[in-house]
Amino acid sequence: MTEPDSVARWELAAATTSEDAPAPTADEQEVIQLFDELRNRLLRYLLAFGLPAHESEEVIQEVFLALFQHLRRGRSRENLRGWVFRVAHNLGLKRRLARAREVSSGTGEQEFLAAARADPAENPEEQLLSGQRLQRLQAVLRALPEQDQWCLSLRAEGLRYREIAEVLGMSLGSVSASLGRSLARFSRADEY
Amino acid sequence: MLPEDGHLSDQELVLAADGELTPRRDAQVRAHLTACWQCRTRLRGLEGAIGDFVHLHSATLDPRVPPAAGARAMLKAQLAEIASQAGTRRAWFLPARWPALAGFAAAVVALLGVYVAIPKSERAVPSPRLTPGAVRQVRKADVCAGSGQEGFVVPVSLQRRVFEEYGIRDAAPNTYEVDYLITPELGGAADIRNLWPQPYSATVWNAHVKDQLEDRLHQLVCDGQLDLATAQHDIATDWIAAYKKYFNSNRPRQN
Repeated sequence: MTEPDSVARWELAAATTSEDAPAPTADEQEVIQLFDELRNRLLRYLLAFGLPAHESEEVIQEVFLALFQHLRRGRSRENLRGWVFRVAHNLGLKRRLARAREVSSGTGEQEFLAAARADPAENPEEQLLSGQRLQRLQAVLRALPEQDQWCLSLRAEGLRYREIAEVLGMSLGSVSASLGRSLARFSRADEY
Repeated sequence: MLPEDGHLSDQELVLAADGELTPRRDAQVRAHLTACWQCRTRLRGLEGAIGDFVHLHSATLDPRVPPAAGARAMLKAQLAEIASQAGTRRAWFLPARWPALAGFAAAVVALLGVYVAIPKSERAVPSPRLTPGAVRQVRKADVCAGSGQEGFVVPVSLQRRVFEEYGIRDAAPNTYEVDYLITPELGGAADIRNLWPQPYSATVWNAHVKDQLEDRLHQLVCDGQLDLATAQHDIATDWIAAYKKYFNSNRPRQN
């Protein structure tokens, strides 16, 4: 099927404007490269955190803009992956706290609850956890202390123990104890 | 250190599975595992638990991860803006770079000439450079709560800036609508990056048609059939493609 002229011209316009834009700086390129590498991992972590998708996206935008400023000021480039997760974790906590305050004060409570009920994307369990085993695993996860859940999520997103310790402000020993304890519970999930 | 019964702890087994032990301790643990069926069995159980968690993590979260393209474009635009404001662009004007730039400049001029030659009234989609889209921090509940139309009127001064940005000086009344790329009903911001002069007529894909799409997306979002972020992304990336997708039609419907 032939596309309308306007669409073909838009493609031309897009090519023009993208070339017309100034060359990105090295810092911009580095930020975009890290965004490409980490965006989905960060998004999953923030979703697991309890933030809805649109708020998680906003947090991620904030994180990478902060990273850009961090790089432009010539600050440390060591372990930027851990830096990005740490800032996302802290911003995510702030967002969640603000949301909790909103709900407890009654402001937006109805909207929040309505959204939670109506939006299937934000309530995936009913759709996705059809198998009994998956439901049992979900129950094990929910029974874990929140910090243990965060450790598992960060490890699942590929962070090493030292990085997890930095993100969550824990000792290395606490991270390994947390993961050992949580995985032992998962390995006994079928006994529950 | 081994527990008193001589077996490895869960913590040490997980450390070994994750390659987090020191080389010396790792060698001791491997030696123990070679000799101890019980610990090997427990290690397999813990490896299985890792697999279970990864499966759970992916099954619950992956379907909720929208495509990255819209967020990436938004980030790039914001970075470019910050960089240009701070004057941190590369020194492209240095003589050493002129030869390489000459060919590039010629290509840009040629393409730009063709673009400018396109009648303005036929530009059915905005320039992605001038209008990449911008959103407010809103939740689905906010966009579905009420009309709020009074806050969506674009001030005349901002409309004038949009026309200037697009090089339009002689727009007749009712020819264009200074339109939001991402409509405020979907969380679009009253920001010049989210506004462009959209022709009402002279193209198949005009402002009236886009209004249909906006109503459709709003309805889908508020009915819980579409994620708000996906709606914002799709309309910002290519609203004509979004129209075709959400109306399942390659041509606009009759008003």
